[in-house]
Formats: sequence, C-alpha cells, structure tokens
Amino acid sequence: MADPVLRLHGVSKIYPGPPEVRALDGIDLSVQQGELLAVIGPSGSGKSTLLHIMGALDRVTSGTVEIESVDVARLSDRALSGLRSHKIGFIFQDFFLINGLDATANVAEGLVYRGMRRRERRERAQAALERVGLGHRLGHRPNQLSGGERQRVAIARALVGDPTIVFADEPTGNLDSHTSEEIAELFTALNDEGATLVVITHERELAERFPRIVELRDGQIVGDHAS
Amino acid sequence: MRSRLRLGDLFGLGLRGLAARPARAVLTAIGIAIGIAAIVAVIGISASGRADLIATLDRLGTNLLRVTPGGGVLGTGSEVPEEARVMAARIGPVESVTQTTRVDATVRRNDLIGELETGGIGVLASRTDLLGELGGSVREGRFLDEAAIRGPAVVLGSVAAQRLGIRDLDPRPRVYMDGTWFTVIGILEPLELHPDVERAVLIGYPVAEKLYDTTESPSTLYVRAEPDFLNDVAEVIPATVNPQSPDAVEVTRPSDALQARRAADEALTNLLIGLGAVALLVAGVAIANIMVMSVLERRTEIGVRRALGATKRHIRIQFLFESVLLSGIGGIVGTALGAGITVAYAANRDLTLAVPPPGIALSIGAALVVGALAGLYPAWRAARIPPAEAVRK
Repeated sequence: MADPVLRLHGVSKIYPGPPEVRALDGIDLSVQQGELLAVIGPSGSGKSTLLHIMGALDRVTSGTVEIESVDVARLSDRALSGLRSHKIGFIFQDFFLINGLDATANVAEGLVYRGMRRRERRERAQAALERVGLGHRLGHRPNQLSGGERQRVAIARALVGDPTIVFADEPTGNLDSHTSEEIAELFTALNDEGATLVVITHERELAERFPRIVELRDGQIVGDHAS
Repeated sequence: MRSRLRLGDLFGLGLRGLAARPARAVLTAIGIAIGIAAIVAVIGISASGRADLIATLDRLGTNLLRVTPGGGVLGTGSEVPEEARVMAARIGPVESVTQTTRVDATVRRNDLIGELETGGIGVLASRTDLLGELGGSVREGRFLDEAAIRGPAVVLGSVAAQRLGIRDLDPRPRVYMDGTWFTVIGILEPLELHPDVERAVLIGYPVAEKLYDTTESPSTLYVRAEPDFLNDVAEVIPATVNPQSPDAVEVTRPSDALQARRAADEALTNLLIGLGAVALLVAGVAIANIMVMSVLERRTEIGVRRALGATKRHIRIQFLFESVLLSGIGGIVGTALGAGITVAYAANRDLTLAVPPPGIALSIGAALVVGALAGLYPAWRAARIPPAEAVRK
C-alpha cells in the first residue's frame, strides 16, 4: 500500500485549564489517497479538534501528524500556511462565504494566497463551480443563494486549488434533509473523481452513506470500519 | 510551497474591507480629514499672511529710527538745538535724516467751528523729503514741494483727512488755521507705522515760521542708517541731537511693531498647528479603536483566510493596509479641504497665496504615518488570533 496522505500517530490534545481538558487522547489514524470517510461522534467527543489538527490549523500536545509523510509539528507557522494554501481544503458548517462577493469571486478567494493572477483564479473558480453543479449561479451573491447552493460554493472554494485532502466540518449541519442528501451525493461524486475527503458529522445517517466510518468518543477512536 | 499574496490583491482586500462598512469608514476618515485640513489651512494662511508682512517690512525697511529729542509730548522744556538734524546727519553710518516740528496752531474745517474742536488733529511743519523717508505715498494730489512749503498749502494725513471730512481734492477744499486759509494740495495713504503723521496736517517750514513762529528745532527726527550699525547709531544719537539733556531723548524703531506682530503671528500659527496635531492624534486613536473593533467582528474572516493559507504576516498587512488606506483617504480629502480654505481666505483678504508644496506632501505623509501607527496594534492582534479558535462554532 502507498504511503497515506494523512497519518496521525498517538495524537493527544490537551487544553490547559483550569480545568484541564483532554480533547484528544492517543489518536492513531491513516487516510489513503482517494478515500472518503466520515468521522462521527456526539458533540464534545473532540471531532472539531481532530479536524483542526488534521488540517494543520492547530498543533498537537503530543504525537505526530504527517501530511504526505511530512511531520507538520516541525513546520513554522509560515510553512503551515503554505501547506494549507496548497494541500488542504476546508468546508465549514456555516459556509463562511464573503457576503459582498459573488459566487465566482468567493471561490476565487481560495486561490488568493497562492499568488495566482486574478484572471486565472476566476477561470479556475468557474470550472470549480461547474464541477459542483453551480454553473448557472456564477454571478450570484451568497444572499441570493439557497443554503444548499451556498454550501456548494464553499465546497467549490475548498476544491478549487486541487488540494491533496479536503476536510468538511458538519457540512450539512445547517441544511434540511433533502439538501443534505444532495450534498452527500456531491461528496460521493467528487470522491469518484479522485478527491480525498474527510467529513466530520454527528449524523449517523449521513456517515453511513460513506465507505468508511471512524467513531470518536471522549477523544478516543472507538470504532473504525467500513459501512 | 509557500503562501503568496499579490500587491494588487492586498489593495483589493483593503478597499473591500473598507467598502464593507462604508459609513464607518467615512466617519473615521472625517476625523483625519479635519485634523489635516486644519493644519494645511493654518500653514497656508499664515504663510500667505507672512508673505504680505515680509513684503511690507521689505518696502518700509527696518533701518529707520524715530527720535524724539525733546522726550515726546511732555518734553523737558529744554530747547532742542535747531542744528540737531545736521548733527545727526554727520554720524558716519547715517544715510539720511528728516524731521517734523509741532506747530502751535489748530486746524479746523472752517472759521465757524470752535477753536477747541480740533478733533485731535495736530499741525506739523514738514520737509519735502518726509514722505519718501517714511516710505509713504499720496492718495490724492501731491506732497509738499519747494513751492508749496512757502505758501498756504497743506497736506492731510489719512486719519486727519477723514476727521476733517475731506475725501478728495474736488472742488479744491480749504482748511482754516488760526486766521489763515490753507489750500489742501494732497491727502496721504495710511502710514501704519507712523500714526502721529497719519493724524496730522503737514505744512512747510517757511510758512510755519512766518505765520506761527515755528523754529527748526525738531519734535521728531527720522534717521535712516546702515542696518548693521543701527544699534551704534541709536546709542550715540541722544548726545548728538540734544547735548544738554541726552537722557530725555527717546529712540524707537517703528518696524519693531511689525516684527513683534510677525513673532506673534508665528506663535499663534504654531499653537494652531499644535491643535491640528492634537486633532490628528485623536483621529489616530479613533482609527485604532475602529480597527480593533473590526478585528473582533471579523474573527471568522480571519480564521477562514488562515484556513485558505494566509500567513500571520498576510493578516497583519491586510489590517495595517486598511488602516493606512483609511487615513490616506482622510489625508487627501483634508489636504484638498485645507488648500481650498487657504485659497478662499487669501482671495478674500487679498493676500499673496502661498501654499507650500512640501507642506502638502508633509501633511499627507503625516496622515499616512498616523494611519500606520494606529493600525499597528489592531493588525498585530488580528494576526495573533489562533486560526482553529477563529473558525470554531
């Protein structure tokens, strides 16, 4: 088997108190290129902390995190930023789009920190929007879009730079069940095209649509199986 | 594999950041604009005013001494020698000397007005060179000349003419002086440094001697000397012009009044610039305040940008640039406003316009510096926000 794109070994995260909080406790996890997996667990189980650590937004207290075999603990903040701009995509529950910008500009914003020219950014942004099925909404602003469409824009923004791995934090948490269904289908389709996706959720129904489920409880992995 | 942010994109981010809250941006920029406008206007107006003052000083010269050998109005009673003027002229660095002598007469519009109603107008015997020595000029008619000093001809100081109710020389006005009618041949322009001459009517020495027994003994001497030796001249003059009682002699320099005004102007200008600087400082604090608020409100944006690959430095310069942009806009508007005020003021007061370009560059620069300083702390705070916390629900 090839080297995993992401490998966590003995990862712990402790928030210094008082009271001291052990959010993650000895996590071992590997994600292969082209995988689509769900991390599931009740609220407070450490899902978001895990996502931030996997996405190099936060640092571990102990253990190692390797992205494409590079130990991120040794990287400077600047190098971590470079890593995020090139290798990692994020999708948030609240979409976090910029209200004053249209869909194309919002997606293009995902390439601003690569130093790419504006015209190229916009071309790629349009292609990414086509990919998530929003080719007809290029010039719409977030407040002119439905919740599902907004999340598609956010997904396009995460994918526009062709990252090695994409993390989604409760991507359907603000959507109705029908729209959630559509987003789940979109993830599956993008995975079929080759994207590596880690979806964090507390909805078992959503998780069970994906090939692999990792179960988290009290900062520890209590299950890791195919669905 | 590094994060990069293009300069053009930084510009876009800054503009967009401000445009997202336009009312707030405008209100904040107004503070800077007011401070800068005040400074530019004060510098501009005072520079214009000073240009005029310097021109006046240049025209009148600063090397004229006014000497009252008998000790001014009260006097000592001791007779000032008639040859005082000639003696003064013999002092080495003295270039020229002229004089006036008070005439014991009253001047009235006509013989029906009471002798005591002189309106405070004095009568002075004058030489033909007086006006030239004082740097004055006539508004109407001519000054006393060789012919006029012998006959009943009179020249009116500007204030005296006004008090006598004589505005022009048509039809040939006359005034009444103790039994003799004098024809007015000229009216002077104001002489701002010589109020005593402004308030007097001037007649020639020969006619004054003939009609009123006036002697050549001077009431006032006007001594023009080489500027470098002015103090030396002032020192030896008392003993020269009034050897009997040199202590009674008063020597003044009329241009000192203008110099004093100039110094006062400068002090006032500095005070106003200081006030402008305080306004600028307050505006800077307001910008810092608004930017700190903006950082708190935009925590999520900061988190998302960090997730998209922005380095701490990118976040820092984004907020710093926004702050500088804000103050820069305020600075440009303020400079335009200040220059406009100066132009309007100078046009209104008929002053020589003098808005120094370095001053304009300096004021815009000051605005940018204020913006940069005000933005430092908020930018530092924005960059310090941990990205994981900023995107947490």
